[in-house]
Amino acid sequence: MAAKKVIETKKLSKVFKNGEIEVHALTDINILIEDGEFVAIMGASGSGKSTLLNILGCLDKPSDGEYFLDGVFVNNLNKNQLAAIRNQKIGFIFQSYNLLPRTTALENVELPLVYNRTGEFLNPSEHAKKALEKVGLGNRIYHKTNQLSGGEQQRVAIARALVNNPALILSDEATGNLDSKASIEVADLFVKLNDLGKTILMITHESDIAQFAKRLIYLRDGRVLTDELIKNRSTKESAIRELGLTE
Amino acid sequence: MRQLFKTFKVAFKAINKNRSRSLLTVLGIIIGVGAVIMTISAGEGANKQVQDQISGLGTNLLMIYTKMEHRGGTHVRLGRPIDKKDFDILQKNSVWISKLSPLVNIGAQAVGPNGYKSTVVYGVNHEYFDILSRELFSGDYFKEEDVKLANKVCVIGETTREELFVDLDPIGRQIRLDKIPFTVVGLLKEEGQGAMGQDQDDIILAPYTTIQDRLIGHRRGYDMIMASAINENTVSDAKIEASELLRESHKIRDFEKDDFDITTQVELQEITGNITGILTILLGAIASISLIVGGIGIMNIMLVSVTERTREIGTRLAIGARESDILTQFLIEAVVLSLAGGILGTVLGIVGNHIIYKLTNFYIPTAPYSIMIGFGFAALVGIAFGYFPARKAAKLNPIDALRYE
Repeated sequence: MAAKKVIETKKLSKVFKNGEIEVHALTDINILIEDGEFVAIMGASGSGKSTLLNILGCLDKPSDGEYFLDGVFVNNLNKNQLAAIRNQKIGFIFQSYNLLPRTTALENVELPLVYNRTGEFLNPSEHAKKALEKVGLGNRIYHKTNQLSGGEQQRVAIARALVNNPALILSDEATGNLDSKASIEVADLFVKLNDLGKTILMITHESDIAQFAKRLIYLRDGRVLTDELIKNRSTKESAIRELGLTE
Repeated sequence: MRQLFKTFKVAFKAINKNRSRSLLTVLGIIIGVGAVIMTISAGEGANKQVQDQISGLGTNLLMIYTKMEHRGGTHVRLGRPIDKKDFDILQKNSVWISKLSPLVNIGAQAVGPNGYKSTVVYGVNHEYFDILSRELFSGDYFKEEDVKLANKVCVIGETTREELFVDLDPIGRQIRLDKIPFTVVGLLKEEGQGAMGQDQDDIILAPYTTIQDRLIGHRRGYDMIMASAINENTVSDAKIEASELLRESHKIRDFEKDDFDITTQVELQEITGNITGILTILLGAIASISLIVGGIGIMNIMLVSVTERTREIGTRLAIGARESDILTQFLIEAVVLSLAGGILGTVLGIVGNHIIYKLTNFYIPTAPYSIMIGFGFAALVGIAFGYFPARKAAKLNPIDALRYE
């Protein structure tokens, strides 16, 4: 049985028009990501990483080409349908956590369920608690975000991305604001979640973090430069060992 | 529906997180609603007082007088003056009128033992006191006989007594009206200010016959006939009846207009009611300006709040909030703020009215409709001034909002 296609793009392009000048942010991107994959996307700044993430995250629409998310043809959806797709199929993780300030971890994690109209999650706080336990914050559920460390805040954000049981977890520089040790913890958490069957797409410019993924896509100037499996994946242990050497 | 409930919860949480700022924002609305309630109630209170005073004149009152017209800056009488013939006809034929009194007046110099003053002397008959329900403080009214014989007697009010007699008892003493001596037979009970602000105790009443003979010099016509209907419910019947009798007496043909006017107590109440009503609206309108200012305050804070929470809004949009969810959330926040202001403002208004009562003894019953106006206005202001910031929030581009610093 062939694995389910979570992401499939065909000749995806994005052109920004700024007056007379046209900027080709993405050109002919063909990516296929199947269920259970753990993919890292790398590239220098300006390579189109963020634009690709915005399109894959249904926050933006491509100028050209087709995008299927979990079997849904996204190009034709209107704003409200896109909102519903983001709510049900995607879990976002951002570089700066984007948690609600002065709000408990539990309430933050419940947030996607507030906007869920399917009636699937009738007991939001139960689901939120389970998600927080999965990321190892079962003892911090009533802490407010400003009482948590950066690593803990990002784990709350990851729990928030998990709570709606999405088809895809999208991480945008999730480790960008964290120190090396916390970064490794978060990357390791991704590995564990992937082991549980979660499909994860992670954008990063830290190659040592990218090495935790199973597959690496390298972008340059809006095109896919390389797309290959990672042979020698990092683990938490290997990364910490390496960290020890550099110190 | 459930979604709306969830949105309500989200909005309440947001307000709760910014308690002191929310309170300050609401202050404008509180003061606005309080001001609206207090001014409208004050207007209503004043209206009620005026109305009470007018009814104090006797609710059955009819005033019949010659029609006057402004012509070239002077009053010109139209048609025949009201006179003794009219009076007799009314007295003989009217079914709905119970009491009648002619009224003539003339300016005169009044001199008493301890003072003098220029004043207006009113000539009436013995029924006048009943018609206007004026009660005595001491002495007696003049009688029907005094009117018949044109006796030189008079009844005075407290203000007049004070000016002419100072500390003397006026009963039985004489005053001179344009040098003609009149004996004071009665002193009226104090009434205070009348409906139009005039002093009802600054008055000298004498038999109209005496005034006509001695001061005016002829017995042609009256300035007015005052009458009272049998009871309150027959006032309009009495008016129609008097009008018919007078038209006949004045030989006015069907197509001609009346050459007299009949004003009733009820009409007087309506007129003053209109005046104070306009005053109330005016006061209320001025007070609502403060509500609008309060609304602008809410808009201002909501705009700041939207900017401050740009990232939060971006996050909400990214994880699946619709534009309408964001719009409703911020709109509800604004409306909840202004309604909270409405509630506190109502309390302020009621307490304020009570404080004014304690301080000045001017009783202001809080008009229930003023609360509704204040409250409705507050909600309206919340929606109107909350909509713009809420729309701004909902229209944010999630991509930009997510990375907003």
